[in-house]
Amino acid sequence: MFGNRDRLDNYDPKKFRKKIRVVTWLVLCAFFVLIARMWYLQIVRGDTLRQRSENNRIRIQEIKPLRGLIVDTHGDILVDNQPSFDISIIPEIAKDVVGIEDRLRKLCDWKEGGLFFEQSLLTVGKPFVPVRVARNIGRDKLAVVETNSLDLPGVIVDVVPVREYIYGKMMAHILGYVGEISAFELEGSAPATYRPDDIVGKYGIEKYLDGPLKGKSGGEQVEVDVAGRRLNVLGRIDPTSGYRIVLNIDSDLQKVCWDAFREKAGTVIVMDPRTGAIMAMVSRPSFDPNLFNRGISAEDWKELTTNPLCPLQDRAISGQYPPGSTYKMIVAVAALEEGLITEETEISCDGTYQMGNRTFRCWKKRGHGTVDLHRAIVESCDVYFYHLGEMLGVDKLAEYARRLGFGSRTGISLPGEKAGLVPTKEWKLRRFKEPWQKGETTSLSIGQGFALVTPLQLLRAYCALANGGTLYRPRLVKRIETEDGQTIGEFPPESEGSIPVSRENIDIVKHALWGAVNEPHGTGWALKRKEKDVCGKTGTAQVISLPEDDEDQKDEVPYRFKDHALFVCFAPYAAPTVAVAVVVEHGGHGGSAAAPIARRVIDGYFNLQQKRHVR
Amino acid sequence: MKIDRRLLINFDWVFLGVVLLIGVIGILNIYSASHNLYVRGEPLYTKQTYWLLAGLMMMIVTFSVDYHTIVRHAYLIYALSIALLFLVSLYGDITHGSQRWLVLWGFSFQPSELMKLVLIIILARYFSDNAQKGYHLGTILILLAIVGVPFYMVARQPDLGTAMFLVLLFVSIVVFVGVGKRLFIWAVSGGMVLAPLCWFVLKDYQKERILTFLNPERDPLGTGYHIIQSIIAIGSGSLWGKGFLKGTQTQLKFLPEQQTDFAFSVFAEEWGFMGVVVLLFIFLALILWSLKITRNSRDLPGALLAFGVTMFVFWGIFINIGMVLGLFPVVGIPLPFFSYGGSSMVVLMMGAGLLMNVSMRRFILQP
Repeated sequence: MFGNRDRLDNYDPKKFRKKIRVVTWLVLCAFFVLIARMWYLQIVRGDTLRQRSENNRIRIQEIKPLRGLIVDTHGDILVDNQPSFDISIIPEIAKDVVGIEDRLRKLCDWKEGGLFFEQSLLTVGKPFVPVRVARNIGRDKLAVVETNSLDLPGVIVDVVPVREYIYGKMMAHILGYVGEISAFELEGSAPATYRPDDIVGKYGIEKYLDGPLKGKSGGEQVEVDVAGRRLNVLGRIDPTSGYRIVLNIDSDLQKVCWDAFREKAGTVIVMDPRTGAIMAMVSRPSFDPNLFNRGISAEDWKELTTNPLCPLQDRAISGQYPPGSTYKMIVAVAALEEGLITEETEISCDGTYQMGNRTFRCWKKRGHGTVDLHRAIVESCDVYFYHLGEMLGVDKLAEYARRLGFGSRTGISLPGEKAGLVPTKEWKLRRFKEPWQKGETTSLSIGQGFALVTPLQLLRAYCALANGGTLYRPRLVKRIETEDGQTIGEFPPESEGSIPVSRENIDIVKHALWGAVNEPHGTGWALKRKEKDVCGKTGTAQVISLPEDDEDQKDEVPYRFKDHALFVCFAPYAAPTVAVAVVVEHGGHGGSAAAPIARRVIDGYFNLQQKRHVR
Repeated sequence: MKIDRRLLINFDWVFLGVVLLIGVIGILNIYSASHNLYVRGEPLYTKQTYWLLAGLMMMIVTFSVDYHTIVRHAYLIYALSIALLFLVSLYGDITHGSQRWLVLWGFSFQPSELMKLVLIIILARYFSDNAQKGYHLGTILILLAIVGVPFYMVARQPDLGTAMFLVLLFVSIVVFVGVGKRLFIWAVSGGMVLAPLCWFVLKDYQKERILTFLNPERDPLGTGYHIIQSIIAIGSGSLWGKGFLKGTQTQLKFLPEQQTDFAFSVFAEEWGFMGVVVLLFIFLALILWSLKITRNSRDLPGALLAFGVTMFVFWGIFINIGMVLGLFPVVGIPLPFFSYGGSSMVVLMMGAGLLMNVSMRRFILQP
C-alpha cells in the first residue's frame, strides 16, 4: 500500500461536493457559450454564410461571344473569325512545370521569350487553373504539340477565335483592327459594358461599330472544388454573336483601287454620287491588321509608328491637303451664283497677275490669252481665278466652301476623321493675331495657302456637282444584320441638304469638267476614254513654293517638298454613277500623277459593271 | 482473480453507452469528411473504427485493474511516459514541421496524448500522498517539476497547443484540490506577468496564429483561411444543415483538416443547428455524468482521477469547438471521442475506463 494509510479516513466528500457544484455551473456556462455562438453563426448569420459557401463553390465563367463578321456590299466576307491556338499548362497535372516547359520549347523550337511563364502563378494555390504560356501558335507548332501530347502532361490547347482580315493591307484603314481593351478604354466606357480582358475594336469600323460587333457574353455556372477543378456545370446561358456589318464597299473595286495606286503615299476613294455610298477607299501606305491579332509584337508596332509615311493614318479621311486647282470649282460656282460673272465672262491671261506689290503667276508661263469660264476650267487658268477670288473676297468664298461641305467632318462612320480648314478673316485674326492680306485670297482662289481639305470632303463636293446639287453624307455601312441575316438597321442615303448652286450653274461647271478631260488642252486629258465620258479636275498642291525659274529642276526636288497631285472625277457625264478622288502625296502634277490612277479605277469600275451585267 | 459481483452490478453502462454513441457519430462524420478523399490503405472511417475497438480493449484494461493499483504505480507510469517523449525527440517522425509521432510496429502514436492522462494519474497520486502537507516552497517546486518536464518536452516538438493543455489540466486539478488565497493571487499575478513574456519565446507561426485569431481576415488565404472556411461551413449549415454527405464546404474540401481538428465543422455544416444542439447535449450529458462519478467517488485518488479525466474531456470539447467557432486561436486539440486520431481515441478511452473504474468501485473499501 502506498502513502499515508489513514488518508482514506480523512477523505471528506463534502468539501468536494461544493466545488463540484461550482464546476457543474461553470461547465453549463461553457456549453451555453458554445450554443450561443452556434446560434449566432447558424441562425443569425446562417443565410449570409450559406451564401458565402455558395460563392466558394460556384464560379460564373464568362463565355465570350463571337465577334460579328464584316461583309462587303455583295456579301463577300471581309473579316472572319478563325480559330487560333493557345497553349496552357495545368500545374497540378504537369507536376514538373519547368521540365514540361523546357520540353515544349525544344519540341517547338521556341526561342527564349516565345513562351512566357509566370512562376508566381504557381503559388496562387489553384493548381487546376490553367496558366497560359503561349498565344496564337501556328498550325505547325500545334501539330507538334498534339502529336507529342503524351509526353506533355498537363499541356492543353485552347481554341480562341481571332479576327482574320481576308484582304490584309488592302482594307486595313476601313476595317481597322482589334486588341485587348486598355485600362483607359475600360475607364471611359459605360459600366458593365466591358470587362478587363475583352477584345475591342481599336480602329476603323471595328472601333466605330464595336457595340454591334462585339455581341453579348454568355455564362456558365460551374461547381468547383477547393483546387479550382471544374466538377459540374450547373447552368449555361449561350452567348449571342455580334451583328454582321454589311458595307457599301465592293471588294473587287477595292482591289482595283489598291492595284491602281502604285505610288508611295496617298489615297483613292470611290463614291456613288447618287447615294453617297463609299464603294472603295484605299489609303497607302497600309498595314496588315492581322498583325494585331492577339497582340502585336513590339518590333512590328515600332515599325508602324516610326515609319515616316505613317501607315496607320487613313489619308482618305484624315489626310489634310491644300486642294490646289480642284478648289477652283468652288470659286467658279461662288462667282456664278453671286452674279459676278456669267458663262461668257472673259478675262485675259498673260501669265501674271498683279496684287499690290506681289506678282502671281499662272502655271502656264506664257499665259492663256483671253479665256472664258469654260476654257479657264478646262485649262485650269490660274489668272482667271485670281480675278474671281478678288471679286468674291475671302469670306464669301468661305461661305460657299462651307456649304459645299468643307471645313467640317463629313460624318463617315470611321473614327479619326479630320475637318479640314476653311480660312476666313476672322479665323486669321484669331489664329495669327494678324489681319487678312489680299494676296492670301489670291492664293486661296487656286486652292493654295491656308485652305486644307480631306480627300473625302473634296469627293463629296464633286459628287454634289455630279448629282445635280445634293450633298450626301458618305456612307460606309449599308446594313447591320443578325448572324442569320435579319436586318437590324439600315442606312439609306442621307442628304445633308442641297448646295446653294442653281441647276444651270451646275451644268456650266459640269460641262467644263467634261471639257477638262475630253477637250484638247484639258488638264485631265490623260483620262479621256471613248466609251464613257468622264468629267474631272486636276489639282497640284504646292507643298512649298519654288522660285519660278527653277521650274526645270523640279524633278530634283526632295520627295517631301514635291507637290501633291490631286484628281477628282465622275462619270458618265450625262448621269454620273461613280465618282473618284485620287491624292498622290508628293506625286507632282495632278494630270500626270493622279489622273492615270483615276483612269484605271474608272475603267475597272465599268469593267466590273459590265461583268456583273453579263452575269 | 475472482471478480467481485458488486463490480458487475455497479458497472457504468450509461457512461459506456454515451461514450460509444459519440464515437459512432464521430465515425459517421469522418466517413462524410473523407469518403471521397484519396488515402493509401484503409479508409479513415475504417481506421477510426479499429481505433475505437482498440480503445475499448484498453478501456477494459483500465477499468479492470483497480485504480488504486494504477495510482500506486503512478511514478513508474510517469517515468515511462517521459521516456517515450524523450524517444520522440530522438526518433520521432516529423510531419508539418513538428516532431510528434512515434512509429512502433507500423503504428504511429503520439506520446503527448498519453501524457495528458499520465499527468492526471501522477497528480492524483501526489495530492493523495500530500493532502495534508499544504503548500510551501518544496511542494510547489515538485509540482512545477511534475508539469514542467512534460510541458517543456511537448512544447519543443513543437506542439504548444498540447503543452498548454497540460498546464490547463494541471491548473484545473490544483484549483480543485484547493489552493490558499495568497498562493492563488501570487500564481495568477505571476502568470499575468509571465504571459506577455511568452510572446518572445513563441515561434513565428505561433505568433501568426494568435494574430490571425484576433483578426482572421488579415491573412485570408494563409493562416486565417482555416478559421474563415470553418465559420462559413458551420454557419452555412443553418437550422437543419445541408444533410449527411451534402456539405459543400466539406465535400469540395474547402474545409481544412476536416476529419481531425475541424471534424465538428463538418458535423455542423451537414446537420445544422439542430444536430449541433443534440450533439452538444450528448457531450454535456457525458460531462455531467463524469462529475457525478467524481462526486460519488469513494476516496481522494478516485475523486482526483475522475475529476482529472472529466476536465480532460471537458477542456477538449470546449477548446476544440471554441476554436472551430472562432472563439479561440487555432490549436491542435481534437474533439474527444469524435475527431479522427488513434492516439487521442485510445487515450481518451483509457481515461473513460478510469472513470468507470472509479465509478464501479465507489462502494468498495480499499482493503
